Amino acid sequence: MNAKTTLPEIPVDAETQRRVEQFLFREARLLDNERWDDWLALMAEDIHYWMPTMENRRRADKNGTYAIDRGALYNDNLRDLTRRVTRFKQPTAWAEDPATRHAHVVSGIEVYQGGQAGEFIVHSTFVNYRSRVEKDNDLLVGRREDVLRADGDGFRLARRKIIITQSVLMAKNLNTFL
Amino acid sequence: MCNANGDQPIRLKRRPIAQSIENLDQLLSLEQGRMSRDVFWDKDIYEQEMERIFARCWLFVAHESQIPKAGDYVSTYMGEDNVLIVRQKDGSIKGFLNTCPHRGNKVCFADLGNARQFVCNYHGWAFGIDGGLKGMHASETYEAAGMDKSEHGLHPVAHVDSYRGLIFATLDPDAPSLADYLGDMRYYLDAVFDMDEGGTEFIGGCVKSVIQCNWKYASENFVGDILHAGWTHDSGAKAMVGGPVAEVHKTPEQSYHVNFNGHGWEFNQDIVGNCATLGEKELLKYLYVLQPKVAERLGELRSKMIGAISSCTLFPNTSFLPGQNTFRTWHPRGPGQIELHTWTFVNKKAPQEIKDMWRKGTMMTFSPSGVFEMDDGENWEYSTRSNAGFVTRQQDLYLGLGHDTRVEDTDLPGNVYQGQINEANQRAFYQRWLDLMKADSWKTVPQRDVPKMKEGV
Ligand code: FES
Ligand SMILES: [Fe+2]
Repeated sequence: MNAKTTLPEIPVDAETQRRVEQFLFREARLLDNERWDDWLALMAEDIHYWMPTMENRRRADKNGTYAIDRGALYNDNLRDLTRRVTRFKQPTAWAEDPATRHAHVVSGIEVYQGGQAGEFIVHSTFVNYRSRVEKDNDLLVGRREDVLRADGDGFRLARRKIIITQSVLMAKNLNTFL
Repeated sequence: MCNANGDQPIRLKRRPIAQSIENLDQLLSLEQGRMSRDVFWDKDIYEQEMERIFARCWLFVAHESQIPKAGDYVSTYMGEDNVLIVRQKDGSIKGFLNTCPHRGNKVCFADLGNARQFVCNYHGWAFGIDGGLKGMHASETYEAAGMDKSEHGLHPVAHVDSYRGLIFATLDPDAPSLADYLGDMRYYLDAVFDMDEGGTEFIGGCVKSVIQCNWKYASENFVGDILHAGWTHDSGAKAMVGGPVAEVHKTPEQSYHVNFNGHGWEFNQDIVGNCATLGEKELLKYLYVLQPKVAERLGELRSKMIGAISSCTLFPNTSFLPGQNTFRTWHPRGPGQIELHTWTFVNKKAPQEIKDMWRKGTMMTFSPSGVFEMDDGENWEYSTRSNAGFVTRQQDLYLGLGHDTRVEDTDLPGNVYQGQINEANQRAFYQRWLDLMKADSWKTVPQRDVPKMKEGV
């Protein structure tokens, strides 16, 4: 996991930390409950939601494990996220019916001041467990790097980078957001 | 271009599978459009497939664009055999089993990269990019034992060759040429991989996932099953374009199944139907501008295939979708599992923005998070898993659509059938499967299909 933060890590006050944690916990609950539209409403207009796929490369290989112009499971703007939500909501989304049961577990939340006023860099780890019908159980574990932007009393998600541990996704699909 | 590997001593001792399965004919009644479910479940059948299909056929291993420079390599699979495909100093391509001939350790753990040599982690044997054993840790001890280095290189695949940028390899020294193996399917391949003068390239790396299904469910889906799209992919189509999938069953007079040697392509001639599902107008414009130029070079019919509603499987386990530009191999992992490797292909000369749109398009549609693929995986998993039931497994399956649709009076190469809602290609796929499974060598595989294209065209 070679997430690089170029900005100095300037901590925030305890109240901001608490509010950011609350935002992420609530976000996880919205996803657990398939409240797709409420989840979309947390996104900033200019959201970049990115989940690259991992390549096994030698350490000496300058190309690195992942890159913006290589494989991705998400490399989305708001329109793309909205299209995915549109599928989830179709009665003909056969692989969502009966419903998948989700648990989004978020932990290790660190909050630092962002590059712009009112922006925050937020690191977190996650465990995602999904169960479908009888015995389809899929586990994904990883780390996220977000940019949250203050918006009224709350925040909007402006950037998310999701780094999972698997290079071969050990599942037939990824029918959730992380 | 043929890059047969050099004259290294053959150290592979082939052990034919203990007992070939008798009465395989009973599994398929293709004339009646019926087939047994055993082909998706039986472990002995799977083992025989490893020997008679995957260790025998030409399998897709890489695209030329993935390994442009000497020492560039990719690690991939031929069946369950891990192989390294390596660009040589003279520009040719070689392939080796990714296993050390000393004690058998895996030699290269990277998926891709550039190497001057491959060094085994266990006892330090070092191999050149040509596969030859160049040196080892504590080499005096081997000298004292009288070991001859020249006899202990990486084990080469039998043949490597390419067509329109697609590199194939076979593990069978007696395999026919790649041109013969692809046969008339080359005519149609040109519609996609030679639609533009610069040819194609792979972009954006490889996305890998695991599906708990038999490999043939995936291959047969892409060889001819457009039927499922209108039903399975309704939700994906509504997400991407706001409406249902096109009703191709209403216009069979404009569409075809074609097959040759078990490879198959179903298509209509709407130029952009597949591409339209990506929801990017710029891509449609790109194809419409290209189409008349393709017509000049390849003729009217093939120019209308460049992004049309269509799908193709190259026997046994490589498939692609024109217009959506996903290219994929379904690597078998036992009778009930595949490892899916997918890439995005584009015309090399296309503008960068166009390439980027296709890279995003494959991700949005045909990747594990894609709005179409999500529903495919679940279908194939449960079509496979149901066969665990002992009695369930005795019930045969239907494969009979398009029985009297053969078009005899045509100049089109291959076996041609009217109407893309059809199961002719699937039946041809399983006929080829049966022919290979019954034959104890390439010599006894019947040549059912008469080529119209000449060798090497
Ligand atoms: S197993 Fe490779 S050097 Fe011994
Ligand atoms: Fe499909």
